[in-house]
Amino acid sequence: MVDKELLVKTAKKIVSREDVKYVVGYKQGTYGFVISPSFAYTPEDVDNFIYNPLCKKNLTVYPILEEKLPLRREEEEDKRKIGIVVKGCDSRALVQIIQEKGLTREDLVIIGIPCKGVIDLKKIEKRFPNQTEAVNVVETDNAEYILNISGAVQHIPKEELLSEVCKSCEYPNPTIYDFLIGEKIEVGEVPEYSGLKNLDETPLEDRWAYWEKHFQNCIRCYACREACPLCYCKTCMADMLEPQWIRRSVNLSENTAWNIMRAFHLAGRCISCGECESVCPVNIPLMELNKKLEKDVKEMFKYNAGLDTKEKTLFGTFNPDDPEEFIM
Amino acid sequence: MTQEQIEEFEPNIIGFLCNWCSYAGADLAGTSRVQYPPNIKIIKVMCSGRVNPMFVINALQQGADGVLISGCHPGDCHYQSGNYLARRRMGVMRSLLEQMGIEPDRVKMTWVSAAEGRKFAQVIEEVTAEIKKLGPMKQFRREQKW
Repeated sequence: MVDKELLVKTAKKIVSREDVKYVVGYKQGTYGFVISPSFAYTPEDVDNFIYNPLCKKNLTVYPILEEKLPLRREEEEDKRKIGIVVKGCDSRALVQIIQEKGLTREDLVIIGIPCKGVIDLKKIEKRFPNQTEAVNVVETDNAEYILNISGAVQHIPKEELLSEVCKSCEYPNPTIYDFLIGEKIEVGEVPEYSGLKNLDETPLEDRWAYWEKHFQNCIRCYACREACPLCYCKTCMADMLEPQWIRRSVNLSENTAWNIMRAFHLAGRCISCGECESVCPVNIPLMELNKKLEKDVKEMFKYNAGLDTKEKTLFGTFNPDDPEEFIM
Repeated sequence: MTQEQIEEFEPNIIGFLCNWCSYAGADLAGTSRVQYPPNIKIIKVMCSGRVNPMFVINALQQGADGVLISGCHPGDCHYQSGNYLARRRMGVMRSLLEQMGIEPDRVKMTWVSAAEGRKFAQVIEEVTAEIKKLGPMKQFRREQKW
């Protein structure tokens, strides 16, 4: 359980600093189980900050996607810092962005929250459909969520609502932070990602049948790209017209090319926050691709994304002894 | 596929050869009149590290049944490390294709130096035989509807 008062107090202290522009945190959304990001420019704005197991959204997309307008003559660049509330996975995204020089450590004031796993919005909405009023969710110590839905208190086992990625989370504690809210969580043995197990055993043709079914549904809304904290290229290859890497038409061929491109671009960078999957309107299990690459990269190159800001990126470095059994 | 179909099928293979070693190797194979299958269509790139993984995907979309990337031997790269970087990329690319159920052997990589004309011919023979066995690429070929 995260102490809300401590979170608000810390955020207030940060936002009232001279060198801080704003702090991004979570606030109650307008309906149901939805949580919105909250941008606090003044200490009063911080009062609506909350943190509960519904806060799945990865807030690290905001500082990196913030549009920087060209400066007018004699205008000075706004170099103030940005405060941000992060969970374990989000902080790894920040490390990865800093590694790639998208942001510098000095740009950020990080409020870290050790996270015990967050609720999958799709799962909870399936269980309680048509919920329009805001709901407060509390996590108890004995792996249960307490939901107060229109007067009726419900106890639900954590397993049923927890996101799939959180079940195999190795880094619940933030890897970088300035302020830590709550106590660090001890990590024990972590089970393998559930989606990987069943795919590893299926033969090649069945795997393609599985993905064909999903890619055929893809509507190429690029929500996976927008939600991903690490998809922040100024010009995405998917939007380029000259050369046109993938065509605009929505069909199996182009959808597959897009999904290969997206997954490959995240190889060695994905920090398994599961945002792409949770925003996908047609429920493509994108994390199965990301997790597979994460696992392979770990095996082949002993590389872990988002742990050390000084480390070089996976595809920017090499080792003469890299595996090459596929080379003839 | 039956044995007959395998023999009849003529695969389309796109070869990305690096300017400094493999392309010169292919040149040598030509000038020394070494025979090799005509299934390979060669595209010269300045370095095997130039090969964007999207080149491979686009080739497979547009009619290639296999892609061969060939560069200098490790340590011999004209740009010091281009081939090492390409090796890393293609290793990951192959595991991604495998996860999606596309035969990873459609993407091949090899090292051929400028002096290895004979090896080049041998490599092309091997690759063609392997792609022949895999059959035409049918997973995500781009449809031409007009």
